[in-house]
Amino acid sequence: MRTNIIKITDISKPGQLTEIDLQELAPLPPPYDDYRNLPGFKKLPKATMENLSDSPDGVLATGLSRPASKEEEERLINLFISGLKKLFTKENNWTFLQPLILSMEHCAKCQTCNEECPIYEESGHNEVYRPTYRAEILRRLYFKYVKPTNPLMRKFMQGDIEVNWELISKLFELSYRCTLCRRCAMSCPIGVDNGLITHELRKIFSSEMGLAPKELHEKGTVQQLIVGSSTGMNPEVVKDNMEFIDEDISERVGFKVETKWDVEGAEVLLIHNAGEILAWPDNPAAFAILLDAAGITWTMSSELVGYDGVNYGLFYDDVQLARIAMKHLEIAKKLKVKKIVMGECGHESKALGVIADRIFEGAVPRETAMTLIEDIVFNRGIKFDPSKNDFPVTLHDPCNITRAMGVIEPQRRVLRYIAPKFREMTPHGVNNYCCGGGSGFAIMSGHNFLDWRMHISGRRKFRQILEAFKDEPPGKEVPKYVCAPCSNCKGQIRDLIDFYGAKEKSGLYYGGLVELVVNAMVDIKDKFIDFDMM
Amino acid sequence: MPVFEYGDVKINVDEDGFMENPEEWNEKVALALASTEDVYELTDEHWHVINYLRDYYQKYGIAPMIRKLCKETGFSLKKIYELFPSGPAKGACKVAGLAKPTGCV
Ligand code: SF4
Ligand code: SF4
Repeated sequence: MRTNIIKITDISKPGQLTEIDLQELAPLPPPYDDYRNLPGFKKLPKATMENLSDSPDGVLATGLSRPASKEEEERLINLFISGLKKLFTKENNWTFLQPLILSMEHCAKCQTCNEECPIYEESGHNEVYRPTYRAEILRRLYFKYVKPTNPLMRKFMQGDIEVNWELISKLFELSYRCTLCRRCAMSCPIGVDNGLITHELRKIFSSEMGLAPKELHEKGTVQQLIVGSSTGMNPEVVKDNMEFIDEDISERVGFKVETKWDVEGAEVLLIHNAGEILAWPDNPAAFAILLDAAGITWTMSSELVGYDGVNYGLFYDDVQLARIAMKHLEIAKKLKVKKIVMGECGHESKALGVIADRIFEGAVPRETAMTLIEDIVFNRGIKFDPSKNDFPVTLHDPCNITRAMGVIEPQRRVLRYIAPKFREMTPHGVNNYCCGGGSGFAIMSGHNFLDWRMHISGRRKFRQILEAFKDEPPGKEVPKYVCAPCSNCKGQIRDLIDFYGAKEKSGLYYGGLVELVVNAMVDIKDKFIDFDMM
Repeated sequence: MPVFEYGDVKINVDEDGFMENPEEWNEKVALALASTEDVYELTDEHWHVINYLRDYYQKYGIAPMIRKLCKETGFSLKKIYELFPSGPAKGACKVAGLAKPTGCV
């Protein structure tokens, strides 16, 4: 356990607050137990550290350039304070004002929440990752600038805090050291939500100061709105790619599989996270096979944004979120479909399935893939031979689908039926642990952020996966399937498996839910899941 | 912005080592970037992959699907890893001078 004390006010002091030391992290089970045999933690070059943000922990997720002059620093400070004030107004915060104010005003400082945070725990209780550390900074700012109390009282009651470049840059970085998994919020007896507080902090930086990781903003939402997809696929490319997938799959399964485009009046408008199409083509292919087999009329949209369910706005900016969600809903309306089905993507499901309701009224009905798959498996007369899934399977619960939306049982009912060697992780369901790639981290790898998300934010999940399979032969002989019905989580789990060499050492593989379902279909003669190709 | 130097090649790269200005790419740059993969000689097989990637990139502005890359070059994924140890995206695309892949891929 760490002994150094980091004070809230240290955030305004120059320099790092802490340094990552691999020896201090909670040890992993064998054969990953000796940190010397694992990849190291990249230390950033001195020049980088001197030119960029004051990092809280020697890690950079984004890295701001240092202000060139006093005036520039002043400008940033003023923007930060005006953004802070706006965050607490109705006109500027139409999504989360009420829970934010409640979270500001009612924390009893009991610290119950801290032990629920996988990042704080796995880091060996590093103070800067404590859920209440970030929250307390915003709280002090709130009582200083938004709801000022008498300065003397404030010093006594809430503690004072100084806004300067050091605070801004460190706090910006710190707002990207929490995956917004909201596990801490579940444990708070009062309902204070430290995950939400981090989210709202990110909003100050993005909306008012124009600061956001380029993976989420410039290459993410901005590119999606202009080109059509955060992956850079324009409509022509996406159609070309789906055509390739259709041909490839038809060849493999021995019957014709065909993606439907822009079919008016279809029952289902299927919107995948477009990353699936590029990186995990078996997932959209399996959806096509399953929907056809169930006799459901379905379509994809080839309109800009309509073929990419990604909505990174959820992670950092309400305006970007609304722009993208609006496109999705408009397209569905235009196509006159009965409902939108969100593919296997957690944040898409939450953004479009839940948060959109806070912004738009009377929108087209939406459903997660989990419930649709459950319905298809049990009610549509498709024949399954579960013994085809003859390998051990565990389920990763994407936070956005389980904790945030309460969709827990459908995917489990399916797995208990079609995967005889299914076993749960501990804990799971609403108590699950984040994969460590939540809130956009899975696509952020700049500077040494990959090391951070492999060694620290993803550590608990990696440990859980290993433990789920501990009754199986440990090595590579038995392939073990981590079912992660979310593109973002899959990216993180892939990176974890690569980073720790876990395919070779432990036989770990990963994929979605729908692939397992199709693999169990009697009509699929050959294997649909082929470990040699993974 | 980090600068990558190798022999007489000097280019701007991003934090992951991908080219910032893909239009500056040439064969010498490819060889220089390959050194980050511990590859010091580019064989015909390497070029086969690089040329396919570049053609596709010039036509569509993004990297091809990995499965497409395998099918069109006739190389298995394993083979691509042998040629470019960090794999198709982080290895081959980087050497071919493509921009870093974006989105949930
Ligand atoms: S957020 Fe809740 S659990 Fe955490 S310290 Fe405050 S009151 Fe306690
Ligand atoms: S939301 Fe998750 S990662 Fe963030 S502080 Fe809470 S438990 Fe930790």
